Amino acid sequence: MEIEFASLDDSLARFTLSGASTAFANAIRRAMIGEVPTLAIEDVRIYDNTSALFDEMLAHRLGLIPIKTDLATYTTQDKCSCGGAGCPGCTSTYTLSVEGPKTVTSSDLIPQDPNAAPVYENIPIVKLTKGQKLVIEARAILNTGRTHAKWQPTLVCGYKNYPVITVSDACDACGNCVDECPRDILEVKGKQVVVADGKLPECSLCRLCERACLASGIGDEPAIKISAEKDRFIFVVESDGSLPAKEIMNRALTYIREQADELEKQLGELSGDDRK
Amino acid sequence: MASTYKCARCKQKVEIDVNVRCPYCGHRILFKERGAAIKELKAR
Amino acid sequence: MIPVRCFTCGKPISTAWEEYKARREKGEDPKKILDDLNISRYCCRRMLLTHKEIIDELNPYQ
Repeated sequence: MEIEFASLDDSLARFTLSGASTAFANAIRRAMIGEVPTLAIEDVRIYDNTSALFDEMLAHRLGLIPIKTDLATYTTQDKCSCGGAGCPGCTSTYTLSVEGPKTVTSSDLIPQDPNAAPVYENIPIVKLTKGQKLVIEARAILNTGRTHAKWQPTLVCGYKNYPVITVSDACDACGNCVDECPRDILEVKGKQVVVADGKLPECSLCRLCERACLASGIGDEPAIKISAEKDRFIFVVESDGSLPAKEIMNRALTYIREQADELEKQLGELSGDDRK
Repeated sequence: MASTYKCARCKQKVEIDVNVRCPYCGHRILFKERGAAIKELKAR
Repeated sequence: MIPVRCFTCGKPISTAWEEYKARREKGEDPKKILDDLNISRYCCRRMLLTHKEIIDELNPYQ
């Protein structure tokens, strides 16, 4: 199994995974979305709210704000030494106290731990007019996207099979497929249609080119054929900013390994095999 | 215990006993005032 | 108020709202603004394109 990065920075990772089954590719995808913990506001105490939005709406908006997460300092509540009561090891508290006229933004949330501040400073929460007041205390906890989407570290997170485009000798370079391709992957070179340089991974396997080829009256078989490599995948992972894309991948893969080890252990116990 | 309301027109504090009507200006739209209790919510 | 995140993909799009609104009011083409703001997916683009701010109309009623 091999991972080759096409691009990698904190917010976006594109890579190809080769030598893996579809089941494994999907396991990675699901682990990245649903099993990597991040911080998000969960409990909100509203002391005063004379704004135009309901308390519940404000709480919901606060919950969706992405928060920079340092997984080395925070643990999930069920694994924390305080037993889920709430201590600095598993919760981060924020205070917000604003009087109008002003648009309350995420920068008005004063974090107790400066390392767990909101990712963006300019997320509007509510607009206050003169005389309106908002006093809120919020607690962020670590949890996974499985529980609620606000804890998902990823935005776009998906994969597709690596495309294979084969052009047979029957191609007469009519160019119909070139015009049809929505992603401009093909071009006419000499007397044949070829894939433009470096464009192959962009193919969406839509097969419009096959249909265009047939429609040009070439016969029963199209000269261009689209297929997919069954054990090679193109992944796109986008982070919401709470964790770098690389850490999301690392954590997801560690999670899969832990789960696999656990399964092996359980199976070993069942069969009475004491290799472990 | 009757909770306190605020008249939408004259903004005075009003107690409702029988009629829903502001005793000062006769307006019939009243706002219920926010209680003093701290509200605890889940951000979901 | 503008939703904090895109309903579909979860990208925080509310950060772009103030700039989007200001530039749109100057008569700029929304397509260009969205491209400038790096909002590439159509799910996120519709969040800004179709948003109508009504908080100022609600505010007088306490």
